[in-house]
Amino acid sequence: MKIFNIALGILAAIGGFVDIGDLVFNVSAGATFGYQLLWVVVIGVVGIIVYSEMCGRVAAVSGKAVFDAVRERLGFRTSLAALISAQVVNLMTLAAEIGGVAICLQLLSGLPYRWLILLAGIALGVIVWVTSFDWIERIFGYGGLCLLVFAVAAVKLHPTWSAVAHGFVPHMETESPLLYAYFAIGLLGAAMTPYEVYFYSSGGVEEQWGPKDLGLNKANAMIGYGLGGFLSFALMIVGGSLFLEKGIQPEFLGSITLGAEVPLGQIGLLLALVGILFAVGGASIDTLFAGAYNLAQYLGWEWGRYRHPSGAPRFTLTWLVLLVLGLGAVMTGVDPVQLTEYAVIFSAVALPLTYVPILLVANDRAYMREYANGRLANVFGLVYLVVIMIVAVTAIPLMILTNVGQN
Amino acid sequence: MRTFSSFLGRQVVTESGRKLGTCHDLRATLGRGRPTVDAIVVGRGGRLEHLGIKPPSSLRRDAVPWEAVVRMDGERIVVRDGTELE
Amino acid sequence: MSTRKIDLGLLLVDHQLLDSEGRRCGNVDELALEGGPGESLEVVAILSGPGTWRRRAGWIGRVAARLGGGGTVRVPWEDVDQVASHVKLRKRADQLGLGRGDDRLRPYIEKIPGADR
Repeated sequence: MKIFNIALGILAAIGGFVDIGDLVFNVSAGATFGYQLLWVVVIGVVGIIVYSEMCGRVAAVSGKAVFDAVRERLGFRTSLAALISAQVVNLMTLAAEIGGVAICLQLLSGLPYRWLILLAGIALGVIVWVTSFDWIERIFGYGGLCLLVFAVAAVKLHPTWSAVAHGFVPHMETESPLLYAYFAIGLLGAAMTPYEVYFYSSGGVEEQWGPKDLGLNKANAMIGYGLGGFLSFALMIVGGSLFLEKGIQPEFLGSITLGAEVPLGQIGLLLALVGILFAVGGASIDTLFAGAYNLAQYLGWEWGRYRHPSGAPRFTLTWLVLLVLGLGAVMTGVDPVQLTEYAVIFSAVALPLTYVPILLVANDRAYMREYANGRLANVFGLVYLVVIMIVAVTAIPLMILTNVGQN
Repeated sequence: MRTFSSFLGRQVVTESGRKLGTCHDLRATLGRGRPTVDAIVVGRGGRLEHLGIKPPSSLRRDAVPWEAVVRMDGERIVVRDGTELE
Repeated sequence: MSTRKIDLGLLLVDHQLLDSEGRRCGNVDELALEGGPGESLEVVAILSGPGTWRRRAGWIGRVAARLGGGGTVRVPWEDVDQVASHVKLRKRADQLGLGRGDDRLRPYIEKIPGADR
């Protein structure tokens, strides 16, 4: 029975892995460079596994979530900078996700976009208020599994599999190295989404994980995210085999669904839309709570998604306010797909500020006892620190130089 | 009444002007009753030691004992001549 | 009770405060010390609240303090139970004057149906 539960948890993780950033960047990267960037996705997926395993272990052994660690380890000014940048990025991501949900609803129903934004926001708020989190994770996680239609589509499009395999070897055959680098940064930023880590570690503290849950933590991280990574591959392969050939740049979520419609017809389109709706909807809830967790943890307030709203009033007010702000941002008419690109790039820039404290706490034997990072964990931890620093430093220059990927 | 943060960032110097470092923490003994400050931590080791790479505190020479402090003026903490880091 | 040495900035300041019922009620934002050169220097109280930010972070701290309401709560060391991963206190938050923000807000949140589900 336990294995059944674990399997369910992993399924939910797979369905929840892809968010609007992954959709946009993986398909665009495929549409621009074919399969050449598949190896970068691998690096990104391993990166999120390393990051979330460490966060999960820190939560289980020391009872600290990410922003507890940020508050304790970085000086007052640096930790405030980490908080502010995380919240700004979170809000941008939230707005993009809500916009994504609204677009899906529009494609499914044909109703006017503006009204659907409001509907999406209110629906998300009501769902969070009324439904228990276990059910939310299940509904959105399993619904997100519809995205597997892209895996089927990828196969049905008959890509040149040798070319796909070649994509897993780092290489670059292009006359636009800057654009290639920009997409690489974007893919890494989209894979290593910080809000997911904030959400995951806070959940671990709330569920009072202990050392006995460490195996589960590792399995969740590796299998859940690992398999979720396959969805990212599928998206890029679809981008490479369908869009590149036809010279389509998937600027709209609607164009992305073509990736399922062309090879699989109406059923493909429907599954893609439902999958995107649930995956992005689930992501918006995670992002919303991540923002509330961060603020509450930083300021020492009571917090928790399993607590009744009246058990954590300021935390509750925070996510309500964030939802309203996110809604407001989308209502201004900003294009969610465009906003996604900015959100992913900026989150890549801010990533070191929340990664370093976790790496520090994970090594602190006073809190972690015998569960502190061993040599292997530190090799990965430090390698990814270097990766994250490179990404953070080059993200904005590349964004400017390539004109946000338009070149 | 002094605040903890009012100690941070102060230069620690001997009476004859020799610089020992900048105060970035206070080391205290916890146990019965109120914590008593034993030493001023001046080494920059703080953040890095917790990466597990540097040796544990007992082996590092990074602190000035509180009894050596003569006065605190302006932005400095002045200690007796001959005080060494321990 | 055994004694141990800790670096205050690393293991006490900026850590979460928990009241006697395990409720989160702020952080250790600052410490109040008594004593001086030539005599013993002791930590007499924990200070918590946005008011402490003023001195900690220059102009940013002053702005943040004003946004947060500028209050500071003083918790005498005698009310500290233990210093571990979090700092545990001997009394309830409301007895110490902590966590007031949540208490003030709770009546409004409770009015929304489903708030104590």
